[in-house]
Amino acid sequence: MPELGRAALVAALGLILYAVVAGGYAALRGRRRLLDSAANALVAAFAAAGIASLVLFAALAARDFSFEYVARSTSRELPMGYTLAAFWSGQAGSLLLWLLVLTGSASAAIALNRGLVRDVLPWAVPILGAVAAFFAILLVFVASPFATQAAPADGAGMNPSLQNPYMMIHPPMLYLGYVGLTVPFAFAMAALASKRTDERWIVATRRWTLAAWTFLGFGILLGAKWAYEEVGWGGWYAWDPVENAALMPWLVATAFLHSVMVQEKKNMLRVWNVVLVAGAFGLSLFGTFLTRSGVINSIHSFTQGPIGLWFLGFIAVVVAASTALILARMSHLRSRTRLESLVSREAAFLYNNLFLVAFALTVLWGVVYPLVSEAVRGVAVTVGAPYYDFFAVVFGLPVVLLMGIGPLVAWRRASLRSLGASLLWPAGIALAAGSALLVWGAGSSPAGLVGYTFGAFVLAAIVLEFARGTRARKGLEKGGWLAAFTSLVARNRRRYGGYVVHASIVLLLIGAIGIGGFSTTREARLAPGESLAVGGYRVELLGADERRGANAQELRANLAVYRGDERVGTIAAGKNRYLAEEQTSNEVAIRTDWLRGEDLFVIGDRFFENGSVYLKVFVNPLVNLIWLAGFVFVAGALVAMWPDAREQRRLAGRLAIARA
Amino acid sequence: MAKRRSPARLVVALSIAAVLAVFLLYTSFAGGATPSLRPSQLADHPGEVSLAGRVVGPVEGDARGSGLRFTLRDIDGTATVPVVYTGSVPDLFQVGRHVYMRGELRNGLFVAEKDSLVTKCPSKYEPKES
Repeated sequence: MPELGRAALVAALGLILYAVVAGGYAALRGRRRLLDSAANALVAAFAAAGIASLVLFAALAARDFSFEYVARSTSRELPMGYTLAAFWSGQAGSLLLWLLVLTGSASAAIALNRGLVRDVLPWAVPILGAVAAFFAILLVFVASPFATQAAPADGAGMNPSLQNPYMMIHPPMLYLGYVGLTVPFAFAMAALASKRTDERWIVATRRWTLAAWTFLGFGILLGAKWAYEEVGWGGWYAWDPVENAALMPWLVATAFLHSVMVQEKKNMLRVWNVVLVAGAFGLSLFGTFLTRSGVINSIHSFTQGPIGLWFLGFIAVVVAASTALILARMSHLRSRTRLESLVSREAAFLYNNLFLVAFALTVLWGVVYPLVSEAVRGVAVTVGAPYYDFFAVVFGLPVVLLMGIGPLVAWRRASLRSLGASLLWPAGIALAAGSALLVWGAGSSPAGLVGYTFGAFVLAAIVLEFARGTRARKGLEKGGWLAAFTSLVARNRRRYGGYVVHASIVLLLIGAIGIGGFSTTREARLAPGESLAVGGYRVELLGADERRGANAQELRANLAVYRGDERVGTIAAGKNRYLAEEQTSNEVAIRTDWLRGEDLFVIGDRFFENGSVYLKVFVNPLVNLIWLAGFVFVAGALVAMWPDAREQRRLAGRLAIARA
Repeated sequence: MAKRRSPARLVVALSIAAVLAVFLLYTSFAGGATPSLRPSQLADHPGEVSLAGRVVGPVEGDARGSGLRFTLRDIDGTATVPVVYTGSVPDLFQVGRHVYMRGELRNGLFVAEKDSLVTKCPSKYEPKES
């Protein structure tokens, strides 16, 4: 079996190298049949990576500890779900997942754009192949998941903090996001290499970018939920380097999704767009590097090994090659149109881009600051949460404001008077909401108050846009309001899907400010029968007990929850002692009250011999809006991504003209 | 047609200037950055720092009482410093683990900030490769 896995990886590497060499030659000489053959080699490499993955899955399912990888990350007691998810819990498996997803999406992207790739962007094939080659080389020569040993009696088990249902879904989501960004990057570089710098590469990859960005965004939120429940310190995002690693490419991809609209509509920002897509891809590689290299102190840094240098080298090659290519093609990228007014839709997109990229760069600076300061001053200096919080407010709030203004500004040149008229209602509603919150006592966090006011402004603007559009459609067509509404959205999925995504960001903002600015916490050591009052709740310790779970000894403090004098429920917070792994992990108790929109969050921090327990209790208002935002985000992205026959025809028409 | 400078450039230049200004303001007023050190470097850096090292036993005392006492050693060295810590003890904390925390050196004793102790994931799950 391990031989089959190794052979499949070697075959994949060979096929990929062929795709790079033959594809490069075909692109250079314009050999279409050779290019097809190179593209087919990528499909075959996908199949080979699939076989290797199946071998690894089979070894995990059989708990075959003669595979070093299996022995290292699972144990006999580990439930089957987690055992299979161990595929991506370690380094070699993660790399295999990268290769599998990359060859798969490369094959699909080429197949779906066959004509375009053949005639216009032949370089897409060797470029996609070159990225895949990097991962295949790592898997064959550096970190093979198929290394074998004399099978030990039992495996080392899985890190307890990974034993959470989110483990099964969060890492694959992030990888789909990271890897998905390879496709727009490769097409952009192919457009430069082939000197076809019109917007065709953007149109061809728009949905890939959207999908990758959706996976990445949803993956980040799943990770946040995981951290909230499993790491259990009462928060949801800690600006940990590895969390930031996923946030940076997401921010840059967000900027890219907005600025490509300017290029499609006005043929501007062409240099900027290729820089953004290269940046997003570079940052996604950097993200994988951070997760996998242990170069920066983080609770995520699992490993320190030679793999870090490989990644660093590859990132350097990618950055150097794309910079050189962009510079070499600068004359092709000059736009013939320019910004006509600072008050226009394209200017609003430009401002949003500057804030998003500035934020991504400050996060990057914070992440690498320990390395930079170590190199310069000899002492690694870490920046803490205050640094990131500060910049999240400084750059984040203007972006929120722009989400409300941008959609109301006309393209080209907007008159301030008409802009003022369309902003009147949203601004009025926002000011009313802000004043109401101030009276209600939300002024304790000024940034929070401003955030809520901006959020109300954006929501009002979105609702008004939907209402205005629906009324206009109803005037044009027969049928009721619902028909007019669906017709409105169907006719411009991208625009209205975008509005839904904007609404989800506002939900996220409301939740983040709620937990960040208005949560309350208390901690105390309680003996059985004693209680602790926090934010309208009273938590009484009934007693502590210990029971045997599936693969862990479970220590629990049983707690009665009171609101006023009424007992509203019982919860249990404590710790799991994992047997095979000889590790302990916190199992927090979370009681969600949807009606009040808050969580009661209890950590059983220490258990004493005499039955008393040291508890930390949080009341986190509005935190559930953060999770809700994740679903609204995906819904909006799906609306924007949904295939649209009318749009396809329109684009086909435009592209035919562009080609003529 | 007279050659007019694109306002886009102006916007870009102004924004970069604004970003730099904000940056300078932030670094001069807010601070928030702490040097992260090994026990052997502690003596040269008074004030609040982050300290990373390997836990050396015996681990005594109560983190919820007068404080948990242990010794921290350079991860690849021999210099050590005694530490006293109060607050939450991470689940993975034990002798031999790599941990880091914030605090400052007072009379040869590193007094850690409450709840600042973080353990790195044990290398057991991915053995260190040569």
